Amino acid sequence: MANVELRNLTKVWDQVTAVDGINLEIRDGEFLAVLGPSGCGKSTTLFMLAGVYLPSGGDILFDGARVNDVEARSRNVGIVFQSYALYPNMNVLQNIMFPLRFQETRDAAAQAREMAELVQVGELLERRPSQLSGGQQQRVALARALVKQPNLLLLDEPLSNLDATLRLTMRAEIRRITRELAVTTILVTHDQLEATTMADRVVCMNVGRIEQTGTAEDLYLRPDTLFVAGFIGSPPINLIRLQASQRAVLDVPDTAETVGIRPELLHSAETGLPVTVTTVEPMGRETLVTADSDLGPLRFLEATSRPKWSAGDKLHVSFRSQDTIVFDGAGQRMSDLHAAIG
Amino acid sequence: MRSSTFRTGTNMLVFLGPASFFLVCLLLAPIFVDLVVAFTDMAQTIRINEFTTKQFSKLVRASEDAWLGFELRSSFYRALSLSAVYIFFTLAIFNLTFGLILALTTTALPDWLGGVYRAIWLLPRMSPSVVYALMWIWVVDPTERGLLNQVIGVLGFSPINMKLDAPIVLIVTANGFIGASIGMLILTSSIRSIPEHLFFAARADGAGSLSIVRHIVLPALRWPLSYITVFQFLALLVSFEYIFLIMGPARSTMTMAMLAYTKTLAPDIGAGQYAYGAAITLILIVIGVFVALVLYRLANMTRLLMSPRIEVQ
Ligand SMILES: Nc1ncnc2c1ncn2[C@@H]1O[C@H](COP(=O)(O)OP(=O)(O)O)[C@@H](O)[C@H]1O
Ligand SMILES: [Mg+2]
Repeated sequence: MANVELRNLTKVWDQVTAVDGINLEIRDGEFLAVLGPSGCGKSTTLFMLAGVYLPSGGDILFDGARVNDVEARSRNVGIVFQSYALYPNMNVLQNIMFPLRFQETRDAAAQAREMAELVQVGELLERRPSQLSGGQQQRVALARALVKQPNLLLLDEPLSNLDATLRLTMRAEIRRITRELAVTTILVTHDQLEATTMADRVVCMNVGRIEQTGTAEDLYLRPDTLFVAGFIGSPPINLIRLQASQRAVLDVPDTAETVGIRPELLHSAETGLPVTVTTVEPMGRETLVTADSDLGPLRFLEATSRPKWSAGDKLHVSFRSQDTIVFDGAGQRMSDLHAAIG
Repeated sequence: MRSSTFRTGTNMLVFLGPASFFLVCLLLAPIFVDLVVAFTDMAQTIRINEFTTKQFSKLVRASEDAWLGFELRSSFYRALSLSAVYIFFTLAIFNLTFGLILALTTTALPDWLGGVYRAIWLLPRMSPSVVYALMWIWVVDPTERGLLNQVIGVLGFSPINMKLDAPIVLIVTANGFIGASIGMLILTSSIRSIPEHLFFAARADGAGSLSIVRHIVLPALRWPLSYITVFQFLALLVSFEYIFLIMGPARSTMTMAMLAYTKTLAPDIGAGQYAYGAAITLILIVIGVFVALVLYRLANMTRLLMSPRIEVQ
């Protein structure tokens, strides 16, 4: 319902620069995830979009119009907080109806009920927030954010307070609802799975800056920076710092500083790099093996629930050269360059 | 088995002993003494000659027309109504309304400014009663030297004598400026404890400042406001020191507490009617307990009505 643009957006608190010159464009109807570690400025960015915080610099544009100085209440932005922030003294229906108080709405109660049905809390309208479970509170918060048909829906870590199963359900639910309403949505999360499964596009942030913007696949397979490579993926990518001993084993350009290889792209083989197994961790369908090598410790995944190896075993691992990712001294990926066992 | 009962016993003695001791000595015993003395003829000396209800008959007199078969004597009636007026206005205007306004405004200011402002409001509470009373005596001094008269003199009005013309306004204001700070402190900390996200949510939902106060802040202050009401009601019911220090034993501000004090312990003004004072005090105690219970009940009602938290899913 709205095209959103951030131009060089900055927020400085007393000492910290929480958001450091962000440039970003969100297309109408897009579902964008902002992914990053705790404290990287995700919430601050979201609150600036909502109009709760004033930017220290830069511009926010809704459909091309600058809204920096537009008050929160005039922006028509719906927001779901990590804490849900339901009004404790109001029941579910009153909570959902609250935004409609400040608009000229013909039949507020009917609209609120309709929204309650959409998020499946139609039976709980008389309850107080304190009488709801986490998942139910979450749905009510979502209904409250959506009832005024916002131009932009902001979700601040909406699933982080839910248990694992509920999280799975709500992920699908939120996606269904935002699709149904075709609302432009920004989801903030520190959970990469949440970001990659729900969003059309993912923005990866670190210390107030955008590290990379792209599809989930882009971020996973072609990380622009060392940070993105390390942050995304579980178990994490193997990052090999290239010192003399590593360079002796690997065939890699001189300007490269670090080589990355995903654990699932490394596998045991007849020939290759000799390693000694140190730990074996069964992880359900797969087994994570950690081994010592001339390159340092390496993790690799074997697609088996019955570990083939045990600690102390000696074997060889190999990988395809095109699966390696090479980074320069500044932590930037050197595209089209790869490493091979030399 | 026996040793464990013994230990429970000694533990209770150790932990509750001191508190119980003070409770009995400083609260229950005086009430009991008051109860006994109220039904005697003790006066001037602490000798008791007879047990009698005549102290109470000084307060009321039989009347055929009255609803309960008796009516209040005028001095007692006057004291009761003065107390009611004094308590109601101090509580309503200063302790609650002004305390609330102070809390709302100072929390909206930047932290340091709010802190300074609140500290200023705490000054009267921190200064000794006599100093505070002297300050008011200077403020309302009927000559041109009084601060109030200096101010209104500048505005072109002639001097006024508040002690004569508006004694109730004076004692309400003097007590109110002290009482407001307690309300301010309690309400400030209550406002501070409202989660920040609730304010953010309300603003994003379209609420302006007044709506936020009405829908977010005031509901969160229900419990502290009832607490302040009960607590300050009781404090005002028995308070007389500022009235006495500013007004002296003037008839125009002779509230119940003042009456009890002047009839018994106040120096040089026909004091020493111990039994009479005890009877008045007994009535004060009964009123205090009754009103506190009613208010407590009203305040607690909402809690009782709240059904238990249910976790589903
Ligand atoms: N109200 C605030 N005052 C001062 N510093 C803040 C405030 N809010 C956030 N910060 C700081 O800004 C940085 C980013 O915070 P935040 O946006 O909440 O991170 P995230 O949501 O990504 O975990 C942090 O270093 C945090 O300490
Ligand atoms: Mg956050």
